Amino acid sequence: RTAPFAEEEIEILNRVVGTANPLQRAWLAGFLAGIDAQSGHARAEPAAPPRAAEPITIVFASESGNSERLAADMAKLARKRGLKPAVVDMADLEVASLPASKRLVVIAATWGEGEPPARAASAYAGLMGEGAPRLDGVEFAVLALGDTAYVEFCAIGKAIDARLEALGGKRVAERADLDLDFAEPAARWIESAVTALAPKTDAASPSGAPSGGRVIEVDFGAAAEPNLGPFEAEVTAHVDLNSSRSDKETIHLELAFDGKAPAYNPGDSLDLHVHNDPAYVDALLQAAGLGSDASLRDELIASRDVTTLSLKTVENYAGATGHQYVKALLETGEARDWIAGRQLIDLIAHFPIAISAEQLRALTRPLAPRAYSIASSRREVGEEAHLLVSAVRYQSHGRERAGVASGYVAERLKKGAHVRVKLRPNKHFALPAPERDIIMVGPGTGIAPFRAFVQERRAVSATGKSWLFFGDRNFTHDFLYQLEWQDALNDGALTRMDVAFSRDQPEKIYVQDRLWERRRELVEWLETGAHFYVCGDAKAMAKDVRATLVRAYADVKALPPDAAERAVVELERGKRYLQDVY
Amino acid sequence: MAKEPSRNERIKEASDYLRGTLAEGLRDAITGSIVEDDAQLVKFHGMYLQDDRDLRGERSAKKMEKAFAFMLRVRISGGVLTSAQWLSLDKIARHYGNRTMRITTRQTVQLHGVIKSNLKSTLKAIDAAALSTIAACGDVNRNVMCNPNPHQSKAHRAAYDLAVALSAHLVPRTPAYREIWLDGERIVGGEDEVVEPIYGKTYLPRKFKIGVAVPPSNDIDVFANDLGFIAIVAPDGTVAGWNVAVGGGMGMTHGEPQTYPRTADVMGFCRSEDAVAVAEAVVTVQRDWGDRSDRKHARLKYTIDDHGLDAFRAEVERRAGVTLAAAKPFTFTSTGDRYGWTESEDGRHHLTLYIENGRVGDVPGKPMLTGMRKIAERHDGGMHLTPNQNAIVANVAAKDRDAIERLAAEHGLMPPAGGLRRNAMACVALPTCGLALAESERYLPHLVSALEARLAAHDLAADDIVIRMTGCPNGCARPYLAEIGVVGKGPGRYNLYLGAAFDGSRMNKLYAEDLQHDDIVAKLDPLLAAYAKERQADERFGAFLIRAGYVAQTNNGRDFHADAGPQRVV
Ligand code: SRM
Ligand SMILES: Cc1cc2nc3c(=O)[nH]c(=O)nc-3n(C[C@H](O)[C@H](O)[C@H](O)COP(=O)(O)OP(=O)(O)OC[C@H]3O[C@@H](n4cnc5c(N)ncnc54)[C@H](O)[C@@H]3O)c2cc1C
Ligand SMILES: Cc1cc2nc3c(=O)[nH]c(=O)nc-3n(C[C@H](O)[C@H](O)[C@H](O)COP(=O)(O)O)c2cc1C
Ligand code: SF4
Repeated sequence: RTAPFAEEEIEILNRVVGTANPLQRAWLAGFLAGIDAQSGHARAEPAAPPRAAEPITIVFASESGNSERLAADMAKLARKRGLKPAVVDMADLEVASLPASKRLVVIAATWGEGEPPARAASAYAGLMGEGAPRLDGVEFAVLALGDTAYVEFCAIGKAIDARLEALGGKRVAERADLDLDFAEPAARWIESAVTALAPKTDAASPSGAPSGGRVIEVDFGAAAEPNLGPFEAEVTAHVDLNSSRSDKETIHLELAFDGKAPAYNPGDSLDLHVHNDPAYVDALLQAAGLGSDASLRDELIASRDVTTLSLKTVENYAGATGHQYVKALLETGEARDWIAGRQLIDLIAHFPIAISAEQLRALTRPLAPRAYSIASSRREVGEEAHLLVSAVRYQSHGRERAGVASGYVAERLKKGAHVRVKLRPNKHFALPAPERDIIMVGPGTGIAPFRAFVQERRAVSATGKSWLFFGDRNFTHDFLYQLEWQDALNDGALTRMDVAFSRDQPEKIYVQDRLWERRRELVEWLETGAHFYVCGDAKAMAKDVRATLVRAYADVKALPPDAAERAVVELERGKRYLQDVY
Repeated sequence: MAKEPSRNERIKEASDYLRGTLAEGLRDAITGSIVEDDAQLVKFHGMYLQDDRDLRGERSAKKMEKAFAFMLRVRISGGVLTSAQWLSLDKIARHYGNRTMRITTRQTVQLHGVIKSNLKSTLKAIDAAALSTIAACGDVNRNVMCNPNPHQSKAHRAAYDLAVALSAHLVPRTPAYREIWLDGERIVGGEDEVVEPIYGKTYLPRKFKIGVAVPPSNDIDVFANDLGFIAIVAPDGTVAGWNVAVGGGMGMTHGEPQTYPRTADVMGFCRSEDAVAVAEAVVTVQRDWGDRSDRKHARLKYTIDDHGLDAFRAEVERRAGVTLAAAKPFTFTSTGDRYGWTESEDGRHHLTLYIENGRVGDVPGKPMLTGMRKIAERHDGGMHLTPNQNAIVANVAAKDRDAIERLAAEHGLMPPAGGLRRNAMACVALPTCGLALAESERYLPHLVSALEARLAAHDLAADDIVIRMTGCPNGCARPYLAEIGVVGKGPGRYNLYLGAAFDGSRMNKLYAEDLQHDDIVAKLDPLLAAYAKERQADERFGAFLIRAGYVAQTNNGRDFHADAGPQRVV
């Protein structure tokens, strides 16, 4: 028996520690350490397996937390298997130190259009660049997270996998490229990868524990995962915040939870589970000649992704139907361009052929929930959560299209209806101590988390200053939450606010232009410790804002470009440049 | 015993010559509004803070303040714009306004929907076009009106020159405008007299309006002005001097008979060289005698009725050092515009276009804004604005007539056939006007259509009959000088006034109250029928109604409210 406790002591320990929140755990740890210090006893190594365990480094490159959670799962299992895991956020990775870790796992998500998660960007560049160290003798395995809806499917995972090998590393487990429904395949991959990496001598006892003995996992360090749900919520408010003259539609949703709201913090998001547009599904079934299949209809509406059209889908369609033209499309390589802006219905309508319910079903993947930043603080709204959803509508290839989730929210979700949500914590986008200054840049729906921030800072009567940058199309028709910002400026919850409306005048004006105008004060705030937050569009805005900040440093502090860039990287490393972009 | 000065008087006093806190207010980017006192001051700079009343209902639920925006009124004497200036305003309207230009009843252009963040850019662009908005509104002398075509004759040229001279002489001198809107340097103001030699710190008790008319056309409605000059033309075609009329004004308030519209009294004749001095004297007497405690009793028309015309004339003569001669005879024939082509003494051609209620925009089937732009682009003779909300393409060479007329026709700018529509005028009202009680500009065209059906039935379709509508009793379209005046009382409800003179010399009378669309048509139909049957040769509709005894005649402001209602069973 390794844990120096009796059965019933163990029970008690588990009861206390199992339910303890991070604070209590931290206190416990300190408390025990304190006792040891006094009594001069050597401090026990609670989490350690029986004997000197082999170290394994698990690096994750994550934006919205999936890779991060998988890394934690893997660490638990690895520890069980007699390994000594060190989990590292790629954001903090010192590439030079990689050769030291003989066992290396990388779990990486792909973002943007085949780009690394923002936080991981500089380490990723380091790994890909000239300066990367040789990795001879390093055993590695890579897990790639992605979304087949994107052309650059799992691009980053693939690139890292190839790079580690090129640097001399030894691949001990085949890479897996996982789609949005990654839960089970990820668990399976972790299992096999850990087995492959676990010290061979332990192969006999996979539990990694001495026979008979029972290892108890009393991990004082780790925080208890909050209950992520799913939760059932009622829509108690549903308001389009844009004026009736606006060409945009942005829905302010108030969700009430009978019983308790998820234990969210400002900066967290909710995963919203939605249904497809019945009209779309009917059209799809019509095109597929399956109009009469009621049960298929229900299933497609409720739980299948019936809009995404990926190369994989086209291949499956060709395989299932043997459609000549579709095959040709793939062989000539035209498929890649053809799918752009198109959906599953276009494929089936364009290349009709007899197809069975099973085949159609097999062309779809599970319908993934959509994430929405929480726009409220529990301290102000109690057992509620507010969301801000922008209706995605566009025209492509002669069809009017609407986003699955935002269309559902804008067109079919009504006050009084119920929805299912899951909590998506994001500890990388949290508020600093109340006395810290914050700068928030959130055009469009990027404003959502900052409404939560401002509510929170008001509730705790934070002493730090706060500065909000907002932008949209027209001042008169698109100024989201205008009256609330006016109140916040009056009651001091917000110190100052700058706005940029792109279409009010002939020349376009964006938030980054306001940042530039205010660069002196901006740098001054940052020099005195302000935290800088960016939320909203990843494609252009987030990049432009970062580039502007670099220019601002260069201009205000008269720095050469590379030094200015370093100043911003410093902010990122110091966790003072934080972004939640999509 | 002087009463408490009104709130506006204190605002002016404290404003440091119209500065107030406008500069700070402009910097607050989170609201489209400005503080109340500044909202009063900004009028002197030619702007009104308004909000889109069509959107009021939805805003607070959407967590948005009212849809604030500013209306800008340009200062244009006699409505004369160069083609280049028209093009500048057109561009400004498309860049910063609501993509329309609104030709007003006082021959200028209003731009609506300019948001606060665009005010400075807009005013700089206006300045770059050698135009300004200073004193287009506020308690000062406003745009000076005169016949819009100086080229028509020597007399018209003289009238225009006088209008320009009066406008220049009576413009506020405060540097606030340059400082605030054009980033001019703060010039430290000295003594009152130095900064505002004519107005002083508190300017006038109320707005002040001047018009210059050249008989026989009374297109500017000279009797609706605080001060009017009527050209007395010598046989050789030059102007021998001016009859001076004082105390005109249209505004009144429903249910407050102590407020009333009033036609100006001709108080004498002055020589051309004395005109400006006389005007300044009229202004300063009003400055010192006008009621500064009650804004509903502050216009010159009340000052004159309170002190009597003789006392007023005497004081003006004393201050101007001019003795006015007895008024000379003159005759007006109409208040309307002469549509279509006219040829002037100098052999130039001028095309008067028709713009319904002055709203120059691109509407389905009538791309008027585009049309005016195309005309101004190919024609540099000038674009003039008429007192009836229309525009004139001035100084066209004979060879260009056809091309210009084709452009006008293609873009819906040529006059309609109907005699009622040609003489129709409506104020702005909803959605921008904060004082509107009912629709006007957006409704009159429909009412006219309904009435045209009746006119056709009575074979009156081609007859010129003046109809004017306003959304409230303030009288911006001079409805009390229309043969048919329709004045807003509440949503969808109007008061009907009848019997004014076609030449603008006599006001109408209240005939029926609180009418809705069908009632208005029903009330007018039998009167039109009778007119068709019983009228005498060349007898105008307004004159007929009085002669035939349907309505009582209004002689002047003080009896405007007397003998209201039908005087004879129809
Ligand atoms: C644009 C125009 C009507 C039109 O359809 O063309 C107009 C529009 C307004 N007038 Fe007027 N007035 C306009 C000619 C007149 C006239 C006609 C005239 O001067 O020949 C009158 C009657 C004559 C007179 O002054 O008595 C007129 C008498 C008023 C009054 C009542 C004044 C009074 O002392 O009784 C008000 C309200 C006030 O001043 O308190 C007013 C106020 C207004 C305001 C600014 C409403 C406000 O104060 O908030 C209106 C802006 C509406 C909008 O959204 O644009 N407006 N207003 C005319 C602009 C003239 C110009 O270019 O300067
Ligand atoms: C962490 C996080 C937080 C988020 N927070 C918010 C938030 O607070 N508010 C919010 O509104 N959204 C937020 N989003 C985005 C949100 O999750 C959804 O992605 C968004 O609402 C679109 O989902 P949908 O189902 O409506 O559209 P989908 O059905 O997923 O369709 C979107 C797809 O349609 C295609 N498309 C879109 N526009 C065009 C076009 N013009 N031409 C051609 N193709 C086009 C693109 O392929 C796009 O990926 C967040 C995302 C993340 C990851
Ligand atoms: C804005 C956005 C862009 C994305 N771009 C890609 C992409 O180009 N290729 C891809 O395979 N997956 C893409 N994804 C899917 C993510 O990689 C996937 O959601 C992954 O599970 C996120 O993992 P994380 O939570 O660790 O960041 C994108 C997701 C979002 C929201
Ligand atoms: S008459 Fe009344 S409603 Fe019409 S514009 Fe003038 S103030 Fe407004």
